[in-house]
Amino acid sequence: MGKKMIMLGNEAIARGIVEAGCEVACAYPGTPSSEILPAIAKWADELNTKTAVEWGANEKVAFEMAAAASFAGKRACAVMKQVGLNVAADPFMSVAHFQLKGGFLLVVADDPGPHSSQTEQDSRFFAMFAKVPCFDPSTAAEAKEMVFDAYDLSERHGIVTMLRPTVRVDHCRQDVELLDVVSLERKASFEKDIRRWVCLPAHVRINHPLLNKKNDAIREEFEREFSKYNYEVPAAGKASLGIIAGGISFAVVMDLLDSMGRKDISVLKIGTPYPLPTKLVDDFIAKHDKVLVLEETYPVIEMQILDKSKVLGRLNGWVPRAGELLPEIVEGIISRALGEEPTSSPEEEYLKKAIEELNITPRKPMLCPGCPHRASFFAIRQALPNGIYPSDIGCYTLGVNQKTVDAVIDMGASVTQASGLYLAHKVDGTERPIVATIGDSTFFHMGMPGLASAVYNKHAFVLAILDNSITAMTGGQSHPGIGEKLRKGEEGRKVDLEEAVRGCGVKWIKTVEAYDVNENKNLVKEAWEYAKENEEPAVLIFKHPCMLLRPEQDKIPVKVDQEKCIGCKFCINFFNCPGLVFDEDKKKAYIDERFCVQCGVCINVCPHGAILGSNGEEA
Amino acid sequence: MQYVIVGIGGQGILFSSRVLGHIALSKGERVMGSEVHGMAQRGGSVISHFKIGKYSSPLVKAKEADVLLAFDQNEAIRNLHFLKPGGKAIINVHAPEALENPNLKRFLEERSIELYPIKGYEILKEHMNGKFLFLNVLILGAMCGAGIGNVTLEEVKRAIEELAPPKYVEANLKVVDLGYGAMAK
Repeated sequence: MGKKMIMLGNEAIARGIVEAGCEVACAYPGTPSSEILPAIAKWADELNTKTAVEWGANEKVAFEMAAAASFAGKRACAVMKQVGLNVAADPFMSVAHFQLKGGFLLVVADDPGPHSSQTEQDSRFFAMFAKVPCFDPSTAAEAKEMVFDAYDLSERHGIVTMLRPTVRVDHCRQDVELLDVVSLERKASFEKDIRRWVCLPAHVRINHPLLNKKNDAIREEFEREFSKYNYEVPAAGKASLGIIAGGISFAVVMDLLDSMGRKDISVLKIGTPYPLPTKLVDDFIAKHDKVLVLEETYPVIEMQILDKSKVLGRLNGWVPRAGELLPEIVEGIISRALGEEPTSSPEEEYLKKAIEELNITPRKPMLCPGCPHRASFFAIRQALPNGIYPSDIGCYTLGVNQKTVDAVIDMGASVTQASGLYLAHKVDGTERPIVATIGDSTFFHMGMPGLASAVYNKHAFVLAILDNSITAMTGGQSHPGIGEKLRKGEEGRKVDLEEAVRGCGVKWIKTVEAYDVNENKNLVKEAWEYAKENEEPAVLIFKHPCMLLRPEQDKIPVKVDQEKCIGCKFCINFFNCPGLVFDEDKKKAYIDERFCVQCGVCINVCPHGAILGSNGEEA
Repeated sequence: MQYVIVGIGGQGILFSSRVLGHIALSKGERVMGSEVHGMAQRGGSVISHFKIGKYSSPLVKAKEADVLLAFDQNEAIRNLHFLKPGGKAIINVHAPEALENPNLKRFLEERSIELYPIKGYEILKEHMNGKFLFLNVLILGAMCGAGIGNVTLEEVKRAIEELAPPKYVEANLKVVDLGYGAMAK
């Protein structure tokens, strides 16, 4: 037994990746996958491997870098969240056909719930779509173990493999065993072979049937040789129900059967949902009168079962088709499947009533106190109150609380939505001010193609780049606009944001201090006037470091003058700071010093001059 | 032993489960927990599950938690359903009158749940110059003071010495004692 350590699921996956001898690891951060790549760097440094660990500008970039390293014979991995794979879908679908050389692992973290995503899509479907084998871990420790098997399978069949943890595995903390590094001692050796590395249609016509053969062979292996991931936990005696479960749902079911004291239910765990070991599944179903399928979030195992006559699942309404399968929900599903009444807790009605009477609601996420985005959104909203505000993915999506975020699709779509909205009005011969907001990291991720397109097509809008010099929402990762690489102190070359914008063809560019709310209001108007006049995008870069970086800045204590405050809630509705709240009894705003960081920006916000700085200064 | 820890993103609740895990592992026990990262960490409601013993899943089911540690009283009330009959909760209160709500009292009575309120903000304002980030260790201290949660003050202190950044160890230990003292009297 090696040493045990408590770690996050993501750290366990990272540890497995380093132990398995991966030498090139690339990612773009995204919850719930973000901690994996930094942890790869940490373990690699600790275990003294030379692993290259880099953030790509986006997931497609990261995937392609890692794939090509595998062409050269290295073990490689690409890491992303589920919607990141949408961005990397193009290379993923192609590379699936390749006869790879070094092992190539794709780690895709899914987010059932969703907790921090724009979809709760199931990446196992993507594995099936690309005909790529998939491992679906139930715990952190299992995820780590699966990394080794995924690499081994990848190299034996020359195919990319997918490890698909869900958020509860990524962010579970568990004791995990540490092992030593497998030393592969491989030198990079790319051998030219166009049939192998160039995806011409003629080659695909050869490689696609080969991919099908690989799928058949891997399915066979999953049937026979992977009993550590695909196994039955039998009932004591005759089972009144069979459950097929994968991923975190298996873990939830096991704890639940324990706490319910049910020994009359047998469980088939499926750790390799694609290609499904169908014989194993069919044999299990044959032994039972009815079988419940529990998996997150889509019916991937269920759809691969050919004879569904005994199956209770999502397709026939036994299992909810959206949301996490939390223990309380699974308990209800199992009771119904058994034809039993779910246990009730009548006393919970009193708690529900109390929560209602006390007016307690879940707290919505908000921008941090002192966040520069809040100041930028306030300036934009006040400058062009009748504008349309397309926005993007990041902390600043929370600008929705300030009514300055009207439409969000995915990474980079702030710019392209601005174009579409402009065109929709243009064909009518009308116009409306459009101010799109995007973060610095998101701009490098996917903002640039949209901006080049807007310049080329002559679209009038203002693009506000909210530059807080960090990838903030996911916990503070670096990106091309910062220069420092993933490992602290490892210098890269900084890509200058203004130069990048100019390179896209933009003529009107200004960089401003985000806290200067009053000046910035004027500049937003000026930018829009320019854009309108010249039929081209104008770019304003609002700069100020993220509060997570704990910048050194002046502390300006503030107070709300209770005489001057008329209770209009303007500050709540358009500034929306955790440190500036409303007393519903007194009908007055006040500073909540538990949260206020004394940034002083709100002094400029009150139209009645009721928010004052410590020395009585007002805007 | 199953804990549920609730609060508001940014209050530092993850550190408390790290401390509990560290103690359990040093005793050779198995641990499993679930944390919240990402969007909710920006000031939204956050919940952390933590289980010690032979479990498969990191999630605590409603009505099964032994202890609820709440960094915010509203979050506490919203999550009381996690406590099993006879369960106990440490709650950082800022408006204690809410705990007098008759329906709430009836629920607590029927489920034999005991509440241990602590005026965390007041204590930290008085003794720590209003550094509210110390709430996590204050609550751990209070848990020991109340004699619940299956860990001792010494174990918590040792874990903090091993886990906290060196320059904050002393302040953290002081706050643990404040929490302990507030509850033990």
